[in-house]
Amino acid sequence: MSAFLAILRKDLMLELRGGRSTTALVSLALLVLVVLTFALDRSAGGGGPATAAGALWIALVFAGMLGATRVMVAEQENGCLRALLLSPVDRAILYAAKLTASTTFMIAAAGAATIMAMLFFNLEFSDSLATLAIALILGALGFSALATLLAAISIRARGGELLLPLLIVPLFVPALIAGVKASAAALSGAPLAAAREWVGILIAFDVLFIAAGYLLFEHVVGEE
Amino acid sequence: MAAPVIETHALGKTFGLTPVLQETEFKLSPGRGAIVIGGNGCGKSTLLSIFAGLVAPSEGYALVFGEDTRRFGPRYRRRIGMMSHQSFLYPNLSARENLEFYARLYEVSAPREVADSWLARLGLADCAGDRVRTFSRGMEQRLAAARATIHGPSLLLLDEPFAGLDPDGAARVRTLIKSALEEGCSIVATAHTPFAVEGIELEVYEIVRGQVVPWLEEDAPRRGRLRSLLRPRPS
Repeated sequence: MSAFLAILRKDLMLELRGGRSTTALVSLALLVLVVLTFALDRSAGGGGPATAAGALWIALVFAGMLGATRVMVAEQENGCLRALLLSPVDRAILYAAKLTASTTFMIAAAGAATIMAMLFFNLEFSDSLATLAIALILGALGFSALATLLAAISIRARGGELLLPLLIVPLFVPALIAGVKASAAALSGAPLAAAREWVGILIAFDVLFIAAGYLLFEHVVGEE
Repeated sequence: MAAPVIETHALGKTFGLTPVLQETEFKLSPGRGAIVIGGNGCGKSTLLSIFAGLVAPSEGYALVFGEDTRRFGPRYRRRIGMMSHQSFLYPNLSARENLEFYARLYEVSAPREVADSWLARLGLADCAGDRVRTFSRGMEQRLAAARATIHGPSLLLLDEPFAGLDPDGAARVRTLIKSALEEGCSIVATAHTPFAVEGIELEVYEIVRGQVVPWLEEDAPRRGRLRSLLRPRPS
């Protein structure tokens, strides 16, 4: 547990000092939302809750890819990943710490992106925001679980940064659909019950991605 | 007789089509120090990485503490300290924060106090709060030496430990090696040429044609002339 906390604390400390991940995540989310707000024709019904949910998730997916890569790339500098692998820390704990850090950055970006989306799409802040928060947190967790594992592969491959979107997007599509649907229901003011099925799918994919990461991370970062 | 700390059998490593180590036999007894010398690209760093369990051998095996390095678990990794070409330090953390972080990973008790004592020991107490990003190569190398030894390893793997150090830094690292050996730690260090540690007898080996062989001083001039001919070539 102390190793988990030490790695997480170190990642958060590095992020607070550099601020590169969160700044990039929020900037990217802002850019996507601004472009979509102006690109969609509201008079043709293009600015409703469903569109806002789609825009929010596009922003999150792009931002999440950046965040997960940053968390792993930070370990590449000065060969620090090798030092972590040489330490007695279990690979599963290393994965859990990286996943927690990545999810934290993504939730911070999601919070900022949600506020921007509400403002840009002129949506009301209502009680159903709790449903939206659940969908976003579950989505961020699942995406980070998958992205952390795949980022560990991509940072070791030549041209890995190009490889990451190619690997992650197809695998995340089912969870993405569920996330968009649950978020759209929440943004249209529906209660949690209306989004229950989609939230259930998100939970299932979270379990799947976390289990895959837990089991495979050791082999992905293992010996050369 | 105590079991060797390191024992290899027919150890080989090939990167792509290039063989780096071939049929290597090497043995190190507990509490002993060995220097492995050789030119650039002869396989010194690869050898240490195999001992650390970071690189898997292509052929043969290496036993460290009696365990195959391919199956190294946390229990074995805890007993190893490694100083590499890369410092393994986070540039945006201070010297103290870096050492404290690694001390926590190895579950060292009182990590901050231990970090401070190592900083003082290596002459870095005055810049304990400075970020590693601002350090010179030599200061980073000294801090890397502290990082490698902070958890009191039983086996220390030092890849060119004196690279980039000024005389004072080199003397401090030499003292560190000496005290580690006196405390019963086994050491394998690499270098381009043999080095001495006062009052300590070190075994010297050379990597020739991908094999680790005992280094004989009288052979050195002849080896120097033949080195280019003996270097392994891609098959």
